[in-house]
Amino acid sequence: MELPIRLSKDSPEPIYYQLEEQIKALIASGQLPAGSPLPSIRSLSKDLEISIITTRRAYQNLEYQGFIKTTQGKGTFVADINAEKREKVKTETVYKAILSGVETALRHDYTISEIEQIFQKIIADLKEKGV
Amino acid sequence: MQTVLEISHLVKTIDDFQFGPIDLTFELGTIHALIGENGAGKSTFIKLLMELIRKEDGQIRLFGKPIAAYGESWKQKIAYQPQTLIGCSPFTGLELMELMAHCYPTWNETYCKQLINMFELPLNKPLGKLSQGVQQKLANVLTLACDTEIVILDEPTAHIDIPAKQMLINVIAEWMERGDKLMIIASHQIEDIRKLADFLIVLKKGKLLGKYEKEELTSQYKQYFLQKPLPNQPIPGEVDRKGGRIVISDQQDKTETYLTKNGFNWVQKESLGLEEVISILLKNER
Repeated sequence: MELPIRLSKDSPEPIYYQLEEQIKALIASGQLPAGSPLPSIRSLSKDLEISIITTRRAYQNLEYQGFIKTTQGKGTFVADINAEKREKVKTETVYKAILSGVETALRHDYTISEIEQIFQKIIADLKEKGV
Repeated sequence: MQTVLEISHLVKTIDDFQFGPIDLTFELGTIHALIGENGAGKSTFIKLLMELIRKEDGQIRLFGKPIAAYGESWKQKIAYQPQTLIGCSPFTGLELMELMAHCYPTWNETYCKQLINMFELPLNKPLGKLSQGVQQKLANVLTLACDTEIVILDEPTAHIDIPAKQMLINVIAEWMERGDKLMIIASHQIEDIRKLADFLIVLKKGKLLGKYEKEELTSQYKQYFLQKPLPNQPIPGEVDRKGGRIVISDQQDKTETYLTKNGFNWVQKESLGLEEVISILLKNER
């Protein structure tokens, strides 16, 4: 089974962390509902072209934080997560996406108030489209 | 992770080729890729491991015990596939299957037949009459079907066509999950290394440059695209450069401190592909 995961080698975030966060986001957004099977560590490592050391680290962290559970001999499955946790991950995901946009703008020498204007414009454009 | 194979101070001299001393450990559940230029000692290493050539010094421990403690039975725990099957050409696939079944107590006939069908291999023709690629497919299938805890493959995919190579990579990944396994692959095929290897063992002229976890190795190297040309002398952390404005570093902190202090701004900082990292590693170490 393939997961829609994209790892960036150029990101300052370590690969295991990117993998962990993306699986969390897939779970929190409901794309991977509770009980869904996850690929085995070896098979995911092959598909993402990373070592099992990296994949195992991400799975261990996810298990420790209660997002997935492993049953001996059966495999790894998405755990039941409560609404509060789901909400927390969603907020973090959105916060990080916006933060990364702001950082891009800062690298291009925009001031904070210019960035605010861009943000307002994006919202206004989206409203116009009826979002 | 449990150490299954432990090699200490392995040494061998063949004419003017000095191999070793090599110290290495291998853990269950992992795939190790043996990497190096032609003549780096990859096959020598494997042959020493399999006692096909006599070591001058060193010790090999299997599951914590010296291999001598097993008598000849340790060879049943390791299936080894050489680059070319010597002396097998008069035999058919069927005959070779019988031979393997006789040699390896862990031989799995059902699994073997499943792989034979998957790769559409002929079993009634003598091996010598088959193309090099088909011979190699058959050799891979026979080795994997031994279902031993340890498998060593020497250049397993060099002659195989693209679709079969893809299939074999998937088969190897699935094979690893048949139990607690260790696989060692000597390979020049970057695809094998990218998709399968957890650790890279890099050899150069008979010496071990190191054993690296794949992401640990690739994340170490970064290339910087600079706004103005570099000074002629090497800068701190530099391992290579391309033209005047791209510098490759394996010590990001040192390089970035230097660049910032001396007014070299970089417009982009990028990771290198595994191929490039391996090339730099082999080129720079002497």
